[in-house]
Amino acid sequence: MRIGRNSRRRAILAGVVVIATGTFCWTAVQRLQWETTSELSAGSARLVSVEQLPDSEFCASGEATSAIATLSREFQDNNLFTALGETAVHAEDTVEVTRPPVRMIRDTYPIYSSIAVDPIRDEVVLQDTNQFGIKVFNRLDNTPPNVDATKPKRVIEGPDTKNEYNNGLYIDPKNGETYNLAMDTADAIFTFRAGAEGNTEPMRILNIPHRGFQIAVDEEKQEVYSTNQYPPRLLVFRKGASGNEKPLRVIEGTHTGLADVHGVAVDVQRKLIFVGNWGNYSNYKVAGSGKFLPPSITVYPLDANGDAAPLRTIQGPKTTLDWMGAFSLDPETGNLWVANDVGNSVLVFRGTDNGDVAPIKVLKGDKTGLDHPAGISIDTKNKEVWVSNMGNSSATCYSLTANGNATPARKIRSAPLGWKSLKFGKPQVVAYDSKREEYLVPN
Amino acid sequence: MAYARLAKENMVPVRILEGQKTQISRTMHSMEYDPVHDELVVNSPLTQSILTFKGGSGGEEPPVRVISGPKTQIQGTDYDGNDKMAMDTVNGEIYIGVATSGGPGKGVVLVFDRTANGDVAPKRILGGPNTKFAFPTPKGQGFPHMAVDPVRDLLIVSSRGALLIFDRTASGDATPKAVIAGPKTLLGGGGGLVKVNPENGMVVSSCAQGSICAWNINEPGDVAPRFKIPVEKITGINFSGPTLNPMYKEVIVTSSSRNRIATFYWPEIFDKP
Repeated sequence: MRIGRNSRRRAILAGVVVIATGTFCWTAVQRLQWETTSELSAGSARLVSVEQLPDSEFCASGEATSAIATLSREFQDNNLFTALGETAVHAEDTVEVTRPPVRMIRDTYPIYSSIAVDPIRDEVVLQDTNQFGIKVFNRLDNTPPNVDATKPKRVIEGPDTKNEYNNGLYIDPKNGETYNLAMDTADAIFTFRAGAEGNTEPMRILNIPHRGFQIAVDEEKQEVYSTNQYPPRLLVFRKGASGNEKPLRVIEGTHTGLADVHGVAVDVQRKLIFVGNWGNYSNYKVAGSGKFLPPSITVYPLDANGDAAPLRTIQGPKTTLDWMGAFSLDPETGNLWVANDVGNSVLVFRGTDNGDVAPIKVLKGDKTGLDHPAGISIDTKNKEVWVSNMGNSSATCYSLTANGNATPARKIRSAPLGWKSLKFGKPQVVAYDSKREEYLVPN
Repeated sequence: MAYARLAKENMVPVRILEGQKTQISRTMHSMEYDPVHDELVVNSPLTQSILTFKGGSGGEEPPVRVISGPKTQIQGTDYDGNDKMAMDTVNGEIYIGVATSGGPGKGVVLVFDRTANGDVAPKRILGGPNTKFAFPTPKGQGFPHMAVDPVRDLLIVSSRGALLIFDRTASGDATPKAVIAGPKTLLGGGGGLVKVNPENGMVVSSCAQGSICAWNINEPGDVAPRFKIPVEKITGINFSGPTLNPMYKEVIVTSSSRNRIATFYWPEIFDKP
């Protein structure tokens, strides 16, 4: 934009200056009115009000977004861009508005993402992805119906823990160390010493790529498997790796069948890796390469590396896979247990399954207490399986022989009976549905 | 997830759109509601796609339209995908910032008709050295937030500490018509979400020290914001956003770092100057 040089433009400029001056005078009057009913804050910013407003409805014009055409004409008549070119009309200072929010939506209870059972220390460990903590319960805890919540025996929580959006959990059976994958914002695997409690720093931090999800460990080879949602890949690190140590190997490429990767389990005895895929795929290096594939479980040899094709793929409508979360493998049977989040179920597949197969067992129904199950952990010593429920702030425990609409053997609740979670998970933006007067929040 | 406008602490969503059939993924960093056509638009960074749902959709309802395929030229990065999108509900257009084969700093803005479906080419492409676009960063981040002022026919692109203002229909290597940038603006380097109130030309975005600021679109340059809510100072929590609700003169912000949604009554930015 250039400032006009001819007389016509000068005339326009003069006219606009008059308009601008009028606007400033009007604004000054308005500000004066504000100042008479408020006090000044420090500096040049001005305090409008510190009064807590009531939670009731506020009055409104009711026609806020109408008359676009009329406003457009007004703008054309007063177009400061056109008239003033590069010369800015500066606000003199900033009015600081310090009213508290009139409303706040938040969930004050834990939202449990991942779970790990430690049969050696008789503990159940839960990741709270709402308040960013790790809550440890006694394995035999069972919240009575008339009690609002069971108090954890210890909690690892606080800024020094660096926990944010923790979503993958593993307890070292030998030394009790807790491996905790923090996805999306921290992008790291934090390891806490056995018995850690309170606002404690991790003993080890391994930086991993953005969008990690679950971890699994091969204790024989001392290797940690970490899934990466996108770009889709499975990274294998040396157990005990820290800092920016590179993975020992990475399964990644167009032949792998990996797409929006989530759960992982390793079968050390049968030398297999199981990986869960939601099916959202693209090659970020190629424009318009996106695809929507059906969800799948891809199976690889334990030593797979690079652009390895899966040995088998479990995929199709019979599987009922629906935004599956974590995996847990039963080492005795080789069966794969899947927390099937949106399916509100736990699915069990044979380790040898292939293609469009139905699960051999499905835990589902109103008696199960399952509500958006995201984490799962098998306790072979006690022949039980534990599930973390994102939807109701609980962990439910079942016999490994349970099937169908089974009642949990025990249930740990961290919210009152019947509680439904807000299901928050990193709300980055919000849209407003003016027709239904609703906030639309992506997770 | 949809929450009632008056929802407060521990009030559950009134409906949830989720599951495989929806074709959405966990990664969603933009969402727009189109009140003119009662539709919900969300981009899918992992599939380089844009999904449109009927307003009020819930459960596993599939999208009514999907923009996806090689002709779309939608491309992301390994880090952020193509994670920012905006909608001009008055003119029925969808804006999305994308990466290109040119690498870091060579991103462009694609414009699609809201009725586009399938593998369709964008109707306009805005990008080039004159635009001053500086995305994506070498790490693959920094895709711009955008907003359209249909009254003044302007497109605002929030890119790395600057609000770049273009003619709404600008395409190719266009020069910004005006820029709001500089130390007085309090704009940070991250490029926060930007919204505009077309009634009075107030542009609202996140700014320094965890605040939400409002500038007048008629006051470009290195200019102090007209208004500021020091959100972090008031609440102790860092927020992002914002979204405007002109009907009730409210500004809605989210805390992606602490799982909260806060609503501020801010009539000053909705009043005519």
